Amino acid sequence: MRREVRAILLVLLGTALLRISLFSDSYLRYVRAALRPYLIATGAVLVLLGVASAIATVQALRADPDQAHAAADDHGGDHGHGHHGGPGIAWLLTLPVLAIVLIAPPALGSYTAQRSESTTVKPAGAQPTFPPLPAGDPLTMTLGSFDVRAVWDTAAPLRGRRVRLTGFVTAGKGGGWYLTRLTISCCAADALASKVEIRGAAANPAPPAGSWVEVIGTWLPDGKEAEPDTIPLLTAAQVTRIPEPKDPYE
Amino acid sequence: MIHAQLAPRQTVLCADGPVKSGLTDRQLCDEATGWSRRATHSPFDAPAHGMPVNSRKDSPSTLRRVATPGSRAADPTVAPEHPPESGPTPPSRATRRRVGSLELAVAGITALLLAQRLTGGWTAPAWMQTWTTVFVAICVQALPFLLFGTVLSAAIAAFVPASFLQRALPRNPLLAVPVAGVAGVVLPGCECASVPVADRLIARGVAPAAALAFLLSSPAINPVVLAATAVAFRGHPEMVLARFLASLGTAVVMGLLWERFGRPEWLRPKVRRDVPPGSGRFAVFRATLEHDLLHAGGFLVIGGITAATLNVLVPRAVLKGAAGLPAVSVLVLALLAVVLAVCSEADAFVAASLSVFPPAARLAFMVVGPMVDTKLIALQAGTFGRAFAWRFSAATFLVAIAASALIGWWLL
Repeated sequence: MRREVRAILLVLLGTALLRISLFSDSYLRYVRAALRPYLIATGAVLVLLGVASAIATVQALRADPDQAHAAADDHGGDHGHGHHGGPGIAWLLTLPVLAIVLIAPPALGSYTAQRSESTTVKPAGAQPTFPPLPAGDPLTMTLGSFDVRAVWDTAAPLRGRRVRLTGFVTAGKGGGWYLTRLTISCCAADALASKVEIRGAAANPAPPAGSWVEVIGTWLPDGKEAEPDTIPLLTAAQVTRIPEPKDPYE
Repeated sequence: MIHAQLAPRQTVLCADGPVKSGLTDRQLCDEATGWSRRATHSPFDAPAHGMPVNSRKDSPSTLRRVATPGSRAADPTVAPEHPPESGPTPPSRATRRRVGSLELAVAGITALLLAQRLTGGWTAPAWMQTWTTVFVAICVQALPFLLFGTVLSAAIAAFVPASFLQRALPRNPLLAVPVAGVAGVVLPGCECASVPVADRLIARGVAPAAALAFLLSSPAINPVVLAATAVAFRGHPEMVLARFLASLGTAVVMGLLWERFGRPEWLRPKVRRDVPPGSGRFAVFRATLEHDLLHAGGFLVIGGITAATLNVLVPRAVLKGAAGLPAVSVLVLALLAVVLAVCSEADAFVAASLSVFPPAARLAFMVVGPMVDTKLIALQAGTFGRAFAWRFSAATFLVAIAASALIGWWLL
């Protein structure tokens, strides 16, 4: 890959990173919020590196045009990975840039959730203990913590409590629907789903799959055995369509 | 391999270069080419690269490629047999090509902006969106760590004298390997950062066995990863200890295995530039960083493509059947770690979520993941060569499983 093109590629890659992290919140579709400063720093360093590379190229050209012309056609990236004479491996870095700029892939949603089980990790200990639930009516909870309390908390503090949950809609087994949220610990590659089956009159008709809703309702104990993939039930009193939240993951 | 036939030409061109402002023609040439690959037979190559140069392997290919019509090496304007004629002719041609390439890049950017307008209303099918999201997520997540690793690697190249590193480690490999393994504690990154650093350590004269032990241990036993493990397995401190011991054990065993059975020719006989004495350190740093970053970045993309494809294709429900059988479950989760290519700073959370599996299997997931995965194999193949990557990854996979089973049986 030629030097000028390398400089341009570095600037493009840096700009793409800055575009999703500094100039918008779309990085939240791919990684956790905590990574933002690192993404901004990386984008800035890449842009600076590209500019420095361009300056060095221009300087080399000025210093000795003949040498720079001939030498600029160098073979960085060609050494021995099977692309003899072909384009440098670095050209592949245009792919994430193209994906970010052209496709701007959305956050993972119902397609992924549909294909994964609800995962509620059992907390540590044979008889896990939980702190009391905070006050509030309705109590706003994440889907993940609702699932943990509903499945694993033997004291069943959710009994009779009104809760407010936010998630998107996926089709359930047997005609019902699940309120679903994905959790990521580092990036979208490690997404795990938490699901709650929504019952009750307010749950009908089911909102379209993939749409975001806020559900207010009460836990419906069903006496099922607690398993990591148990999906708890909720009797909905109110289902409201909402826009997709800024951070689509929990 | 290719540097063998390219370098004569560069040497010829550089030999014409003038001596300028305190830099020798050699350094100018290096700077102008960004990162020159020298001829394996160049008199400038000091043997102190930690790897013997395998000239026997290179020579036939050099001859073959020079003789191939149409190959770049056979280009009459650059053929080493005609150095005097090559001087006057190439500039016009090179100028034309350079402008062409720039125009291409500018046209590409314009097309990109136009296409962005056009695709505004288009929605890709769900599977393609999911694939792209996972692909972008893996690349975006890894880039800061890759940059960190390459900055560190370039800094070692530019600012740390080779003699320092050679003195810092014990001479006896039996001692150097464990020391290097434990030294992995200091690099608080994930596996993307450790590959360029290990590569640089070898280039700066550190014994490959020690550098490889460092490569394997640093993404697994650094404080950030151990802290993440402790958070993910709250109430199970023995899991953190087990991960530390099994990972360090695997790294040390692999280093010693390399010392005993490894062959230097498996590592790509890469001939490198050392820091020329008295040259601009910053220029060396910048050129090294640019090269390493673009090179490793390209391979990261290959790894990202592989990981995203497998991630979308392999439904996790398939795994459940294996959970009940201890021996099978260790193997299954180890394979899952290879396939998913989750960053080592996050894999503990994924392992914790696989709670239907026995602890030893989840330990195997966390020990194998930072050492062998699709993204890492691509990075290693690009950095050290394919001959190395598949042998090393396969051996590491087996050793890591054995270590996890052993430590898991003992501690968990």
